[in-house]
Amino acid sequence: MVKNILRTPSFLWTAAVLLVLLLVPFIAGRFYVYILAVIFVWGLLAMSLNLLVGHGGAYQFHHGAFYGVGAYTAGLIITKTALPAWIGLCAGPVAAAFTGLVVGAFCVRLNKLYFGMLQISLGSLIWILALRWYSLTNGDDGIHGIPMPDLLSGSVPAYYFILIVVSVCLALMYLILKSPFGATLRAVRDNPQRCQAVGINVRRHQLLGIVIATFFAGVAGVLFVVLEGSVFPDMLFWVLSLEIFIMCLLGGWFTFFGPMLGAAIMVALRTFVGSYTEYWTLILGVVLILLIFFLPDGIMGINFRTWLRNRERRRSTDVVR
Amino acid sequence: METSFTLAGLASQLLVGLSRAMILFIVSSGLSFILGVLRVPNVAHGSLYMIGAFAAHTIAVAFEGSAAGFWLAMLCAPLVVAVISLVAERLLFCHLYEREHLMLLLFTFALMLILGDLTKMTWGADYRSIVAPPLLQGSVPVLGTAFPRYNLFLLMVGPLVAIGLWLLSTKTKFGKIARAAAVDREMVGAIGINVSWVFAFAFVLGCLLAGLGGALVSPTISITLGMDHSIIIEAFLIVTIGGLGNIWGAMVGSLIFGITQSVGVLVLPQFAIVFPYLAVVVILTLKPTGLLKSVW
Amino acid sequence: MKRQHALKASLILMAGCWIISALLLPAPAAARNIKIGIVDTYSGPPAVFGNDALNGFKMAVNEINKQGVLGNKIEFVTRDDKFKVDIGLNMAKELVLKENVDLIVGTVNSGLAMAVSDAVAKKEKIPFFTWMGKSENITGKAGHRYVFSTTENTAMAGKAAATVLAKKPIKKIWVAGDDYEYGHALDESFSRYMKQLKPDVEFIGKTWWKVGEPDLVPYFTSIQAAKPDLIHFCTGGASMANVLKTIKTTGINQKIPIYIHTAIDYAVLKPLGTEAPEGVMGTMDYLFYYPELSSNQKFVKEYQALYKAPPGFPAFHAYTTAYLIAEAFRQAGKIDREKFIDAIEGLKVDTPVGKVEMRACDHQAVYPILFGTTKISKEYGAAVATDIMTLRGAEVMPSCEEIQAARK
Repeated sequence: MVKNILRTPSFLWTAAVLLVLLLVPFIAGRFYVYILAVIFVWGLLAMSLNLLVGHGGAYQFHHGAFYGVGAYTAGLIITKTALPAWIGLCAGPVAAAFTGLVVGAFCVRLNKLYFGMLQISLGSLIWILALRWYSLTNGDDGIHGIPMPDLLSGSVPAYYFILIVVSVCLALMYLILKSPFGATLRAVRDNPQRCQAVGINVRRHQLLGIVIATFFAGVAGVLFVVLEGSVFPDMLFWVLSLEIFIMCLLGGWFTFFGPMLGAAIMVALRTFVGSYTEYWTLILGVVLILLIFFLPDGIMGINFRTWLRNRERRRSTDVVR
Repeated sequence: METSFTLAGLASQLLVGLSRAMILFIVSSGLSFILGVLRVPNVAHGSLYMIGAFAAHTIAVAFEGSAAGFWLAMLCAPLVVAVISLVAERLLFCHLYEREHLMLLLFTFALMLILGDLTKMTWGADYRSIVAPPLLQGSVPVLGTAFPRYNLFLLMVGPLVAIGLWLLSTKTKFGKIARAAAVDREMVGAIGINVSWVFAFAFVLGCLLAGLGGALVSPTISITLGMDHSIIIEAFLIVTIGGLGNIWGAMVGSLIFGITQSVGVLVLPQFAIVFPYLAVVVILTLKPTGLLKSVW
Repeated sequence: MKRQHALKASLILMAGCWIISALLLPAPAAARNIKIGIVDTYSGPPAVFGNDALNGFKMAVNEINKQGVLGNKIEFVTRDDKFKVDIGLNMAKELVLKENVDLIVGTVNSGLAMAVSDAVAKKEKIPFFTWMGKSENITGKAGHRYVFSTTENTAMAGKAAATVLAKKPIKKIWVAGDDYEYGHALDESFSRYMKQLKPDVEFIGKTWWKVGEPDLVPYFTSIQAAKPDLIHFCTGGASMANVLKTIKTTGINQKIPIYIHTAIDYAVLKPLGTEAPEGVMGTMDYLFYYPELSSNQKFVKEYQALYKAPPGFPAFHAYTTAYLIAEAFRQAGKIDREKFIDAIEGLKVDTPVGKVEMRACDHQAVYPILFGTTKISKEYGAAVATDIMTLRGAEVMPSCEEIQAARK
């Protein structure tokens, strides 16, 4: 069984990509190492959302709130308590998952758009709390200069830490989606009524899905703190949640790695186009509209094999003619 | 602190909350109308509201701040917004109605990004301000406190818009078709009505209301980029608690939003902003599909 | 997950990696100009400050480059932070790590200024100048060797206002404002100095509304009912116009004295035209029409010829910053960050309103603070400041001892 997995081409490809990514700090400038780390953090966040949206069919409209909760928990424990930083880093995802459980318990009772709207209002409450509770959170200024353990300080160690954590998280997500639970989640997405009829507890499955996804969102939040040493209320704002949605769309809803690619495109647009023009959001908007019209399944949704086959078929007909 | 909590204070606070609710109502009723007929959550609604305010400023300035210019601005700015939305609808949006809601939501988000940057290109970053005509300046004494005349004006306009919308959707042929199309568009198409144009008209009407809201709010605030972000989320929540697509629901939701906040100022000023959101959470927990009957 | 999907994914990721690595050519170090990176807000409501500052900076750089610095020129690149901390950090790191700028300047956003100060300036040892981030913590509590402020800060505003207002018969004060760092910082410093100078003063209440709150009337009615002797509004930017409009519509200024930092800013008063409230007290560190020095008139005339509007305080700050930087590099003798910092500490340069010093102990530029009252002017068709008092910079700044105590 293990041997079989090791022999599959996808495993080999993944290993090769990982190897390249491990070597990046030796061949690339520090800025690109940093940008790759940013992409990983955003990618993990987008993939955790896609767990619910692409695979679970839930209207998770305020996913950013849980990312922020994870980051704030880590930041607050490190700066406000005497506990070791590692505890703060581990507590972030747990706090995010717990918040996910509470918010989710309210939301799963509702359908579709109402689910999303209730989540936006609950998420906004968390956002307001971070913005208003000055003595704890420094309000809109945020907390800056969060000290990291020696092992993680510096951009290259942070890069490796993020790379390893993100890889582990992706592997876990992959396993979850492969498991019977993942299959149920997709079944619930495609036909909730039928699932209910065959005796699946739809709400409980959705709730479990939310807890898992918010846990990974919390991990992404903690990784952001590792990377930037800052937390601020914008991380909980609903606009960020829509941006995560966009990443999923850009890369492809129904693929596993799609959101990661979407995150890469977003970061690249922001960084490289942003250095030429301040109107990069206009370009993002145009790209989005083009995607919606021509590639509704996202970039990774292009089926290369079908495309190649069609092209060959066309060629062969040409020859015949 | 305790001196501020008087009956007169409460009454004037309620009045102010009501007038604030009117702006929210005008914007969110447009959103609700689009949701009801087209089933599209229009995120670009806030941008259209912003464009309405900027357009009103341009028109008012063209008439050198005269009273006639002001009234013309109130009239024409929404029309400008309507034209913009008509173009967007006919060019792009009308091809997407068959898609799923998330796609439509993302399309309107893309539209919001584009309109936001286009507004910046057209009007720039400066703060702008419109002066209300002399008739609406200053304040009148109400229950011992000064109450701004402009807010009284808003209190009159809000109900007018509500009644107009109600008449339009129940008494006119268009309204009836629109409501029927919302329920079953194939059927409406089958009896020979051009559904596409009905949808276009509904979309433009909704956006016109966003523009009207922007124009009406412009004399009370400074018109800047970024005013779209603050209104849109509130409008969404109002529509949700009122019942998706229900015009009167938008009214009820706006009143709840406006009044909880202005009374919240009196009770607990530091956390006044929390009250409307709390109200939303309570309402959705108790009555998940909104207070009034949703058309969905 | 189907196998070909994973395969496709890996292919694309690989391709992405190679494209990125192909971009990795390090920038060559030629005989070089001084390169300055600007991270500032060119989108959203604060863009009006970002653009004004950029204009002032451009004008100064053009003047400086006629003469040159160390035989070369100053060049600059700009990045839009969209008033967001994460985007701003991203941009600042890009400027330092990829564009190899010698120093960073900018930003209206105090939160971003603090983040850049810590994550970029301190860690990468790159001098960072904030010309609009007005939190006193930037050069106070959170200050360090690599961060500089060329804007007046909330401590200076609060101390200047308290110095003037403590002499007036004021007992009960109400504080109201935007609920964000800048608003709270203004309140904190004014209250601190007011209590120091006039111990019997009483702060009877506080009201905070969210930034961008469209309708302030409900807040005003509840404040008015409490009958304070003075209202201190802690606001700025776009909200300032809202506050001034509401003051005018409610007529609160005819009953209760009002103080607002930057209320006499022309950029705020001009859009209101003759609808601005009169008699509002305010503080500023720069007014283009005062003092009537020939150097200032020349600066204003040239600025107006270029940009069709009089310079605001951001333009003045940025203009001063450029001259401070150029002069410090001249004195340092070469492009070296540490020598640059040594040279700029205590440096004095000529500006349109006289000499401005970069104080050595906290890296805070020393500006005089002007205290005035709004009055409609026929000449400008808008309100301007009258009865202007000038408070010397050294009088209104926290002392070096206070700074040292705060940094501990």
